Amino acid sequence: MSTAATVRRPRVRMILTAVLAVALIAAPLALPAFANQTLIRIGVYAVAVLGLNIVMGYTGQVNLGQIFFVGLGAYVTAYGVNHGWNILLVFFAACAVAGLVGLLVALAAARLGGLAIAMVTIALPIVGVPLAKRLSDFTGGSQGTSARFTDAPDWSGLDNDQWQFYIVLVVSAAAFLLARSLVRGKYGRAFAAVRENEAVAASMGISPYRTKVLAFTIASIFGGASGFLYLAAVQYTSPETLSFGHSISLLAAMVIGGAGSIAGSLLGGAYYVFVPQLTNAIDPNLTTVSQGAILLAVLFLLPGGLVSLPRVVRRLTRRSATRRSTARPAAETSQQTPPAQHPVPDAAPEGPEQTERQDGP
Amino acid sequence: MTLLELTVVTASYGPLQVLDGVSLSVPEGGSVGILGANGAGKTTTLRAISGTVRTGGRIRFDGRDIRGLRPDQVAALGIAHVPEGRGTLGQLSVRENLLVGAYLRKDRKAVAGDIDYCLDLFPQLQDRVGSRAAALSGGEQQMLAVGRAFMAKPKLLLLDEASLGLAPSTAKAVYEAIRRLRLESGIAMLVVEQNANLAFSLVDTATVLETGRNVLTGSSAELKGMDEIRRAYLGG
Amino acid sequence: MRKKPGGVLGIVAVTAAVALSLSGCRGDGGGQGGGSASSPGITDSAITLGITTPLSGATAGPGKCTVAGVSAYFGAVNAAGGVKFGDGKTRTVNIKSYDDAYDPQKSLANFQQMVSDNVFAATAGLGTPTNRAFRDAAISQKVPQVLVMTGDPLFSDRKQSPWQLGFVPVYQNEGAAFGKLLAKSGAQHKVAILSQNDDYGKGYVAGFKDSIKGASNISVVGEQTYEATDTSVDAQLTQLASSGADVFFNAMSITPLTIASLQKAQQIGWKPIWFLPSNTSSPTAILEPGGAAAYPGIYSVSFAKAPQSPAFAKDPDVVKFLDELKQYGNYPDMPAFPHCMWSYMVGATLEKAFQNMKEPTRDSFMTALRDIKGLKAPLMLEGTSVDTTVDGQPAVSSVVVQKYNGKGYATAENFG
Repeated sequence: MSTAATVRRPRVRMILTAVLAVALIAAPLALPAFANQTLIRIGVYAVAVLGLNIVMGYTGQVNLGQIFFVGLGAYVTAYGVNHGWNILLVFFAACAVAGLVGLLVALAAARLGGLAIAMVTIALPIVGVPLAKRLSDFTGGSQGTSARFTDAPDWSGLDNDQWQFYIVLVVSAAAFLLARSLVRGKYGRAFAAVRENEAVAASMGISPYRTKVLAFTIASIFGGASGFLYLAAVQYTSPETLSFGHSISLLAAMVIGGAGSIAGSLLGGAYYVFVPQLTNAIDPNLTTVSQGAILLAVLFLLPGGLVSLPRVVRRLTRRSATRRSTARPAAETSQQTPPAQHPVPDAAPEGPEQTERQDGP
Repeated sequence: MTLLELTVVTASYGPLQVLDGVSLSVPEGGSVGILGANGAGKTTTLRAISGTVRTGGRIRFDGRDIRGLRPDQVAALGIAHVPEGRGTLGQLSVRENLLVGAYLRKDRKAVAGDIDYCLDLFPQLQDRVGSRAAALSGGEQQMLAVGRAFMAKPKLLLLDEASLGLAPSTAKAVYEAIRRLRLESGIAMLVVEQNANLAFSLVDTATVLETGRNVLTGSSAELKGMDEIRRAYLGG
Repeated sequence: MRKKPGGVLGIVAVTAAVALSLSGCRGDGGGQGGGSASSPGITDSAITLGITTPLSGATAGPGKCTVAGVSAYFGAVNAAGGVKFGDGKTRTVNIKSYDDAYDPQKSLANFQQMVSDNVFAATAGLGTPTNRAFRDAAISQKVPQVLVMTGDPLFSDRKQSPWQLGFVPVYQNEGAAFGKLLAKSGAQHKVAILSQNDDYGKGYVAGFKDSIKGASNISVVGEQTYEATDTSVDAQLTQLASSGADVFFNAMSITPLTIASLQKAQQIGWKPIWFLPSNTSSPTAILEPGGAAAYPGIYSVSFAKAPQSPAFAKDPDVVKFLDELKQYGNYPDMPAFPHCMWSYMVGATLEKAFQNMKEPTRDSFMTALRDIKGLKAPLMLEGTSVDTTVDGQPAVSSVVVQKYNGKGYATAENFG
């Protein structure tokens, strides 16, 4: 790594981050309402996918019940808003209740290990829907419950969609920064170690059980936060919110965005929101078919998810570049191997790089 | 003083009894080898210590009974296991693998210094710190596995077939580095090794297993002198 | 490391691209039509309606019908030149449909898209939660959300839902219609009630009980509930059979469960007269497999002519409807769900409102829509009509009780 590059890089990053921040803050003022509403929904689902990514993408534990925690967070939010709680309290309650339920489920399920966790998580939305219908004092029954708390206050001079955009932006930016530092740190490495090899993780003093419980609980908290945002954006929730099918869609969004990738979670959220809009525009009668086709196309072309697109493009251009000038020093090429600091360098393993890896007998 | 002591340890995988009464002890800072043919129970002995197999008998480490503890609890007491097949985490970079080794440590500053020490010990890894472990050669992965175990700052290192699948020159380099590590860190070691020449380069004493029990124990020098050992393990 | 700047750069690039492609001046989208005062979605020659409804997923069958019926109706009207509006201009009616897969979040998104697509009004969409999800948004943006397919009374409450109107009878209407007929019979009847433990079942039971209040000849001798997720109601049936009831009011919305209860009751020798809700009383899908012929009578309610019934095979309404459904509704088969007929009637009701609206505005449309009385829309049964003038009631609140005759239904003037 040349010194010039090392000096420059943090600065480049800082400038880019600043540009991005300014763009995000300015965007709702310039964009039409529908674009803002779309971005708002992307934020909602990006946070849910992010949580799912922590438990599945990073820790390797199958979770088919993430939507349950989104719904739970939404219901807690509706309940709190309709009972006049302070909005910060509502937010923390949404996260805490989801996290607590997630913790209890994980304490039981993580002991079972393997597919049993998947089975337990399947049960969550399946039990959740009738439960939500039945607990009508709390949930409003099958007619659902509305809660308006995100209309723009007069002093702001903003439209509702702009105000909601900022709410979602603050919460999801915080969620993404938190997740980023989490997966890059000690716990992120523990997640990755458990995902790759539980025995090895244990031999390093990492308890696979506790690590799974931790990941699952964090995922649930993110689910609860996503539920809060859901209500901020939709202002209504009903048992349909937590139906099992949406959990599978979240899972697909995570894989499409990029399993084990923070940026991939954002792309997954975008996929979750954009694709139904796109397929509606193609032909509203064929949404299932066209959604399936898009899913398959992305998986075939980019098995590492959308997040691997720049890398694939780079590899293709690099290949043609090396073809043009083979004189490039080898050292420089070797620097282009995946980065060190990234905890789990994205899902797609780059086959050719696995030189003489020998699996133990 | 004795750091680790196994007393008539048995172990089984389901109905299959693999250890049938193994006893051995490792003194603090000492280095002990386990020799034996395939299937004699060498690897299982290490697993019995690290808690990944159901065991009977008595296993004492650092003054307490550790039989029946979970693997992560055993690790937390200061036993690091370099497993057969290395167990490097392929999707993680070399640096991250080393940091995983230091998972339980709180002294962050010293961790950075120990990473530098590892890279000094295994210079081949220096250029690869950012690479995924899966992209390393077999020898490099073995070095990484040893380095990662060292990062835990253990009192005892369990080393399982570190030469397996490596070219002779590479295996020799790995063992030289481990010997240096032992000298400089004073970590006690329990070493399973098919290649007795390599083993004897590292251990003070060794025990020979046959079908799950000890048949012979002695110092390296004694054992090296015995005919049957020469014939069975030293190729002559 | 190289990757992260790349990631940030990518996001910046995407944001910039989105901003560029989507940017346009913010505005409320007004003034896009022909006249200066007209609402979005209406020009001098056309009006655009939006339907968000499940076109995929478990409820896609009825959902597709909601689009097909309206499209069929206005397809034929457009082919004949269009609708002559109350302001004197003739306009064609365009239908934009959106799939919400019965997901509230998607129906709200679809509504937001409709607003951005300049849709004049949302109509005919199926589903209580999906309609509720954008009710608030429709109110705050003053976009009509009318003649929607939900039995939820909230949509017909003018104070709470100023820009809404439900189309189909609320659950209470159906239960009450049967209760009235039963009370009128004069004979002594003992009634057993089984209902789904949610707003659906509760609505039916409430309507029924209200209508038999004060009728001394009717007594409720047994009452049981079940959960929508239950797979068997055998225990409840045995319980109710022992009550000795001769009339069985079964407010059940689940097809396989209804078939199973028809079979089970006769198995245990209980053969009362049945009442079944309109959505679980299909002769071919439920009564025949359930062996309903064993019972002395099966009653249900309806307000639409059933095209599959032999009695209506030659009915001019039905012939025209089936023809238009095929030609303009993209629905070549015999309708499997009543929603096809209902949304066809929605078309007729909308046309009536269009003819009466004096200005090309949403306000004027709502005024005209709320002023329809005694409209006999095509396919409506004798004794039913569209009446939008009563607060608290959907556009169709009148239903007629019908009795199963072994093949289809015929209107029952009297009970017994």
